[in-house]
Amino acid sequence: MTKVHAGRIAVVALVLAAPATSLAQDGGFEPPRTKWGDPDLRGHYLPGPYQALETPTSEWAPPEGANQGQGAAFSRFFEPDPDAPARPTPARPDGPMIIDPPSGQVPFQPWATEQRNEIMARQDQLEHLDPRVKCLPAAFPRAHLPVGYNTYQIEQGPGFILMLYEWNHHSRYIPLDDSPHIDPAIRLGMGDSRGRWEGNTLVVDTTNFTDNTWPVGHGAPPEGAPGSALSTGHGVFHSDQLHVIERFTFIDANTIQYTATIEDADVFSQPWTLRYNALQRAADDHMLFEYACHEGNGRNLSLMTGIDVEAARVHPIP
Amino acid sequence: MLLAGALVCGAVAHTSAQTYDGPRTADGRPDLGGIWQVLGSAAWDLEAHNAQDGIPAGLSVVDGGTIPYRPAAATARDANRVNRLTDDPVRKCFLPGVPRVTYMPWPFRIVQTPDHVVLSYEFAHTVRIVYTDGSPHPLPNDFWLGDSRGHWEGDTLVVDTTHFNGQTWLDAAGNHHSNELHVVERYTPMTEYHLDYEVTLEDPRTYTRPWTMRMPIYKRMEPGLRLLDYDCVDHLLDALSEAEGGAR
Repeated sequence: MTKVHAGRIAVVALVLAAPATSLAQDGGFEPPRTKWGDPDLRGHYLPGPYQALETPTSEWAPPEGANQGQGAAFSRFFEPDPDAPARPTPARPDGPMIIDPPSGQVPFQPWATEQRNEIMARQDQLEHLDPRVKCLPAAFPRAHLPVGYNTYQIEQGPGFILMLYEWNHHSRYIPLDDSPHIDPAIRLGMGDSRGRWEGNTLVVDTTNFTDNTWPVGHGAPPEGAPGSALSTGHGVFHSDQLHVIERFTFIDANTIQYTATIEDADVFSQPWTLRYNALQRAADDHMLFEYACHEGNGRNLSLMTGIDVEAARVHPIP
Repeated sequence: MLLAGALVCGAVAHTSAQTYDGPRTADGRPDLGGIWQVLGSAAWDLEAHNAQDGIPAGLSVVDGGTIPYRPAAATARDANRVNRLTDDPVRKCFLPGVPRVTYMPWPFRIVQTPDHVVLSYEFAHTVRIVYTDGSPHPLPNDFWLGDSRGHWEGDTLVVDTTHFNGQTWLDAAGNHHSNELHVVERYTPMTEYHLDYEVTLEDPRTYTRPWTMRMPIYKRMEPGLRLLDYDCVDHLLDALSEAEGGAR
């Protein structure tokens, strides 16, 4: 009970702190505006430089020669293009993404810590395997954390934002209105989002999640960090009570700072918040490619779990 | 020259026959924004077919009634049909390809900007980004959904799609194509509530000539409607875990 009470106090503190925080976040940068007057988020973006999710529990350092700048999430997979035009190195704040609680750790309830350990110990079982490896949705904030191969396209019109995710061809249509979330009986892998502007910040409130995704997790965890390291975010699960509040703010012409507050009273002892320079403007000729995740994944899953995934059939049409 | 003239005349006749003048975007194009869905039974079989258990009967949506297969391709279609419960790529949760994704029995949303038309489909959260900025098909890569480039001819959105991988079907009855498929879709607003959808398929390895299918696409009018989830992979994993006798 004491912990629950402390959680409620933390919520009040967060709410009180929010206006000051958002002012600080804007940092005075005035983003370009659309013809209809909203901050203009349209464009193509790459994930930001990698950063530990949590305060690491063991020593680790970026790998020798790793690209710490544009597209650093890809640096484990691709050599930097020597002919690419020089681009400013995006700001990479020190410390973990988690800014609240101050410990920099996911505030699991005790039972949930045990559950996470169980999940990570059983990654050879389909039931526990990372949902992204199974090509299930990424949910949030995970869809905005660094993952090799993920890039973003944002389209925008009066009254809506459309975010397109290269990874597993996800998208989310965000109405910018105060309509209520859909019927709680409806569950969506990427949740049900509503957006609004607070100054130059896009605030997105998302509920109606399923309970079979992970809210965080790096596709490209720090080099040398085991999958179970807290710095990867792997194995962090949630219930269908997950509620995520995201804030997208331009801090300069090429960088959108991303702040997400994660609430789930069934799993965590308090709401927690991460902040990450999640979107780095891509070159003008960038395009999203088709990422057919599941289509080539059957043998992969079979090797990991011993289950003949390629033999499975569904019947979407009788 | 004569042929070109005939084609141009045909196009003009087609356009002028369409007199509906609906809402427009800021850049003057017809505004196709909204949630749409095909009705009918093309998803089961493009050609005329009688009802079967769980499958509604349907008239052919193919001009002339039947698809002009080459002999070997017709044999392959017949084999596909026999083995459709195991061989249909959609039953493995593979992306459905174009134009099949349009007339699967799920809704899709059109979002339109001056440079792109984004088609988001409820089935398997499939997305097509149609470039309408005059850019060409870019690369030698192949894709499940091909590479789509669009332009406007009057009030018709014309989408040209190539670079297919040849691993998709056209319906649940085994109608198929090769990786040489070239699809031209024409989306023409006819009333506030429907688009005319005309698709020409060219694939010299599979068909003896280009052929055309056509059907209406209807606007979904329910207030508060939005795309929901049909995450095919989720259902596939469920089926697997049931077979394994445990929770996923």
